[in-house]
Amino acid sequence: MAKIQKKGKKGAAANFVTRNQALKKLQISLADFRRLCILKGIYPREPRNKKKANKGSTAPVTFYYHKDIQYLLHEPVLHKFREYKAFAKKLAKVMAKGQYSTAKSLEEHNKPVYSLDHIVKERYPTFVDAVRDLDDALSMLFLFATMPVTDKISREVVEDCQRLTAEFQIYVMKSRSLRKVFFSIKGIYYQAEIKGQTVTWLVPYQFAQTVPTDVDFRVMLTFLEFYRTLVGFINFRLFSEINLIYPPTLDLIKYEGAAGFNALILEAMHKTAPDAESKFDTEMVEAEKEESPEDVARKAASKERLKTLGNKVAELQGSTDTDRIDEDVQDEAEETALDEFKATAPTVAAVDGDDNMVTLSQIQAASTEIQELQNLFSRSVIFLSRETPRYALEFIIRSFGGQVSWDETVGTGAPFLENDEKITHQVCDRPTQGHRFLNRTYIQPQWVADSINSRKLVISDNYAPGRMLPPHLSPFVEAKEGDYVPSTGLEEEDETFEGETEDINPDDIEEQDDEEVDSADEEDEEEEEEAKAAVAPKKVVKEDHETELQAEAAGVAFTEYAEKKPAKKAPKAAAGKKRTAKEIEEEEAKELASIMMSNKQKKLYTKIKYSQNKKSEEVDPLQAAKLEQKKQNIAKAKTNANKRSKK
Amino acid sequence: MRERRATTGFKVAGIATGKSNGAKSSRKEPIKATNPKQTVTKSKKRAAPAQEEVEDDLEDFGNVEIDINSDEEDEEIDENDAEESDNEVEEFPEDQSEGEDVAADENEDEDEEEEEDDDYMAGDSLDEEDWNEEVKISNDSQRPTKLPEIEADYDSDSSTEDVENTVGNVPMEWYDDFPHIGYDIDGKRVLRPAKGDELEKFLSTMDDPDSWRSVAVDKEGKDMVLNDEELDIIRRIQGGDIPDADYNPYEPTVEWFSSKKEVMPLSAAPEPKRRFIPSKWEAKKVMKIVRAIRTGRIVPRKPATEKPRFYNLWGDEDEPREDHIMHIPAPKMKLPEHDESYNPPEEYLPSEQEIQAWKDLDPEDRPKNYLPTKYNSLRQVPAYGRFIQERFERCLDLYLAPRVRKNRLNIDPDSLIPKLPSPKDLQPFPTQQSISYEGHTGRIRCFSLDPIGLYMISGSDDQTVRLWEIATGRCLNTWTFDGVIQSIAWNPNRDLCMFAVSVGHGNVTLITPPRIGSPEQISLTDEYIQQGYAAMSTAASDDKEARNPIPWIKPNVSDQEKLGYRVHLSHTQAVKQITWHRKGDYFATVAPDAKNLAVLIHQITKYQTQAPFRKLKGLVQRVMFHPTKPLFFVATQLYVRVYNLMKQELIKTLQSGVKWISSLDVHPGGDNVIVGSYDKRLCWFDLDLSARPYKTLRYHSQAIRQVTFHRRYPLFASASDDGSIQIFHGMVYNDLLQNPLIVPVKILRGHSVVNSLGVLDIEFHPTQPWIVSSGADHSLRLWT
Repeated sequence: MAKIQKKGKKGAAANFVTRNQALKKLQISLADFRRLCILKGIYPREPRNKKKANKGSTAPVTFYYHKDIQYLLHEPVLHKFREYKAFAKKLAKVMAKGQYSTAKSLEEHNKPVYSLDHIVKERYPTFVDAVRDLDDALSMLFLFATMPVTDKISREVVEDCQRLTAEFQIYVMKSRSLRKVFFSIKGIYYQAEIKGQTVTWLVPYQFAQTVPTDVDFRVMLTFLEFYRTLVGFINFRLFSEINLIYPPTLDLIKYEGAAGFNALILEAMHKTAPDAESKFDTEMVEAEKEESPEDVARKAASKERLKTLGNKVAELQGSTDTDRIDEDVQDEAEETALDEFKATAPTVAAVDGDDNMVTLSQIQAASTEIQELQNLFSRSVIFLSRETPRYALEFIIRSFGGQVSWDETVGTGAPFLENDEKITHQVCDRPTQGHRFLNRTYIQPQWVADSINSRKLVISDNYAPGRMLPPHLSPFVEAKEGDYVPSTGLEEEDETFEGETEDINPDDIEEQDDEEVDSADEEDEEEEEEAKAAVAPKKVVKEDHETELQAEAAGVAFTEYAEKKPAKKAPKAAAGKKRTAKEIEEEEAKELASIMMSNKQKKLYTKIKYSQNKKSEEVDPLQAAKLEQKKQNIAKAKTNANKRSKK
Repeated sequence: MRERRATTGFKVAGIATGKSNGAKSSRKEPIKATNPKQTVTKSKKRAAPAQEEVEDDLEDFGNVEIDINSDEEDEEIDENDAEESDNEVEEFPEDQSEGEDVAADENEDEDEEEEEDDDYMAGDSLDEEDWNEEVKISNDSQRPTKLPEIEADYDSDSSTEDVENTVGNVPMEWYDDFPHIGYDIDGKRVLRPAKGDELEKFLSTMDDPDSWRSVAVDKEGKDMVLNDEELDIIRRIQGGDIPDADYNPYEPTVEWFSSKKEVMPLSAAPEPKRRFIPSKWEAKKVMKIVRAIRTGRIVPRKPATEKPRFYNLWGDEDEPREDHIMHIPAPKMKLPEHDESYNPPEEYLPSEQEIQAWKDLDPEDRPKNYLPTKYNSLRQVPAYGRFIQERFERCLDLYLAPRVRKNRLNIDPDSLIPKLPSPKDLQPFPTQQSISYEGHTGRIRCFSLDPIGLYMISGSDDQTVRLWEIATGRCLNTWTFDGVIQSIAWNPNRDLCMFAVSVGHGNVTLITPPRIGSPEQISLTDEYIQQGYAAMSTAASDDKEARNPIPWIKPNVSDQEKLGYRVHLSHTQAVKQITWHRKGDYFATVAPDAKNLAVLIHQITKYQTQAPFRKLKGLVQRVMFHPTKPLFFVATQLYVRVYNLMKQELIKTLQSGVKWISSLDVHPGGDNVIVGSYDKRLCWFDLDLSARPYKTLRYHSQAIRQVTFHRRYPLFASASDDGSIQIFHGMVYNDLLQNPLIVPVKILRGHSVVNSLGVLDIEFHPTQPWIVSSGADHSLRLWT
């Protein structure tokens, strides 16, 4: 006979402990426990069966995994907490006696200090694990970097956050790993790809944060404590991977002059051999360091450091002088690399066969796509007007290889002035400009983000100052089948590309407008029908649109096209009717077959169906809104057309 | 800090001091508590010179005190000390001449001990400044206060007595031959006082009134007068009393040491010596540290080595560790959607009502924590007010929200639907309604088709029975009764033309419908009936009338001819079901309320009625004859029992698992039974397989009223109160190993539900794949 299992020795009863039990076992206060949980990343669990986990009671309690708590028993930080408690008692005693010198020496020499290094390593055994979990940490650090110093938030914390975020941004810029940018109402979302992991973080707009009263900053600061350690270690690793010395030194003059992350002086590691890979980095560093000799004269504090730097610069300045040349060289190098790849690809494919050719070309396409994105702004020299968010835009543009400068009033260290000839774009956010340079394009900040998200430089006309901007869409939304896809400015752009003469002559468009409006009306109605009939009508619409465009390109009159279309549609509609009959049949068959399902299967089936229905319901209202919107647009266009005809 | 009086000793610090001075002072001072350390060390030294090392430590420590008498000691120590460097001397104050300083010094030492103790434990070491500071503090706090001298008397008179003769306790007769009797304190002889002769003695006794109380004292050599107290003592001793007058032998006892716990202990034990000696081991420890500091092994107040705050935490050889099986990583932040944009597409902007609805919701209930807003340019975007709160909420979620792993089923729901043969391949089966038989005005509870499939009779709540021609829907005949038609059944024998109808409260009538049957049929039916009459009359003559539980009544002639009535059987309770044996001679009736007469089997040819069950378990719902064997199925509420009528025994009990059986039918093959129930279930029993259902299906939304098999085609059907008829393909194979195939093929909808009653009865056509149904909506329909 099998051994009789005792109650509470196995399963949920043994796996979970309530919070109070945990506190009793660890012999610490709730506050300490919470801190420990935050630092160690321990979280409550929801057992499958609460009753089994809590000795038959169903009272609402928090459960922790039993082993989590047991691991906590040996936590060095826990011991430090205890030591600190004892220390606090000693200190209080001494202070009460008025022995201030003793208190001072106690404070200086006996204060227990704990480090979180081992926790970082324990929670993230590999570097990639740490990068994967960087989202929250970065968002938190970027928030605290903009926080005002209060009695709860100390100056050191804020400065540390500022520094860590600046370092991280430098890495992103240097490695050009930024991928997506989104201006939301909450702040700016960035997404970077680091070590194959996508890291997304949110940065608030540059405003003074109002410190709310309903937030427990102890919790936030405990999180921040861990995140600072984590990001520090990650920064160290990231810097060493691009052959930079960590930590970079801070140029105080620049720092005070609001240079942002330019205030950090980067140094390349000595030991790196000047091989092809590191060349890129050293060059980048060099570009960074070129202003440094001037600083030597200015500040005595950072004199020694900079002296050595000067030497290094002298060493490095063997081959090139300006940024321009650097970049040209770099571009050439990239191009040659690409060429080689192209040259080798077909030969390999020829040997291996057809299957491999596809994969190779795919890989090639992907890599070139990434490379193109990384060098999106490499040929643009962008000047930021003073009303634009300088730090954000500078970070974004430089992450994609662009050269940026800004107004001196916004911060020191601008590489070139506003009247520089080489400037190709000027980002401004005012409807009117005082003086306009003719040889550059004036754009609004959204152009930068939209260009990045669409992975090409979008037509800048839509983004001219004072113009109504096309909608700024989230690059993070991946439209699934049946989802509503809003129209972007890009579609219209394609049209404008094809017929640029039309774009220049707005009257021409308006002449055509009447026709188009009518046809559009019909289209819309059709679309509506389709929307009702089928679940995924969007594809059909797209196809229609494409065929329309093709017809237009072929020179077929729109009316002709419209005549053709219903002919095409008619069989479709008939098919639709048939299909409905068939569908009914199918449905009936399903209903009949569902009779033979077991109870379990039936329950599962109804559950899945229910959730599917719910999802489709969620999508629907937007669909309706979209249609409504379209109708409104059409109505507007019609009234406009009427006005014109009256004229 | 402990109070200590240490005036006898002085520091040994390399310089010899005046011994005589010290000695004198020590003599004169009343010694309460000398520092006992000196004696300890002294004795040790003398005993074991090998222990000089220990001494070394102690002298280093500097508070070794030495008795003045031990000259050699001093020298030894001096020598030892001389070995040490002279500089050290400065560390220790040398002023020994004044007691106060020494005391202070000692205090300082002790302070230092404590200080060192603390510091050592904390991993630190001494500092000279600290040292001096401490000394100062101790000087201030340890200012000696004058205390009254303590008399060291122990209540003994002898010590205070002024003794002249110092010979001690020796026999005085030793001095008998000498002129003196001893020596005084200065060593001079004490002369024996002159002694008078006996006369003088006598005279003196006469003169002296105290002579009677005088006693000669040898040591003094003269008489001593006893005082009153002494006399009293003598008297008491003589009287055998306790000499002390004050002593009360009967004083009440005071329980000093009781079980009661006192707050303040009442121990008068003197302070032990160790309280007044500095700990030797502590001193050793401290000296160890001091020496370590001197040699440089310990560097006091050493600044901690600056470790870089960040370093390469992750080595290159780090192997990815698999997450613990119970680890649930926190979900990532939700990525923003289009409507969070500062410039969203117009269609994402909420209308006024939506904004109002959003505002009216509680913040926790809002599906999104922001309202989509459009700004014309980035410059106009304000700071987001709830940024910190949202980050805080995220923090709370990360460490307070219980995590649970939810297995999201990624199953295509259609894959759950079993793959069944297409109904098209299983044709024929009824698919649509073709004829509706109009005429009844009440709900049609029952109907029956004749064995050939030409005619149909139906009984309704409007108290009529109608005869229909199936193919045309024409009503051929109508019988009117004075009660609700409960059940109706056509005789299955093709050679007969007869049906049985149960009316109202237990009247069962056998009817041969006029103008329908062929002459052969009519004659055979007549023959059957006549046989019965004959049998009955013989039975009556045999005086066995009591054999029939219910009477068989012959209808009157007019009814016989006009309406075709043949026999009346009057049951005691309402007969709910009539079912025929396949040969058409027997039929069974069910009257559930009739207790042991609930099931009766009637034989027409003998006009005989039997109650096969003496006692019935449960409420009988339905009965059924086996199509080929002499078996009889009885369905009670929960079970179906199968009896062998020949052997008169129970063969099998089918456990349906349903709550209330409503209907029952046996497959024409005889090995399968279907049971319908009021709790919406249909059970298929395979009699060869098990007593439990082979399959239980639940698909009707209301109670099942009737189930039936087709006699020829592999079809069966169920009718329910939800107004639908479900047709199944139910193929039974001859191979015993192959399970029956059940495929739902059609749902027939058409009957409307009246008073929550839908389809009341169904029956398949005997030859065609048709089905007839009757409903509570007064309709009778043929589905083909």
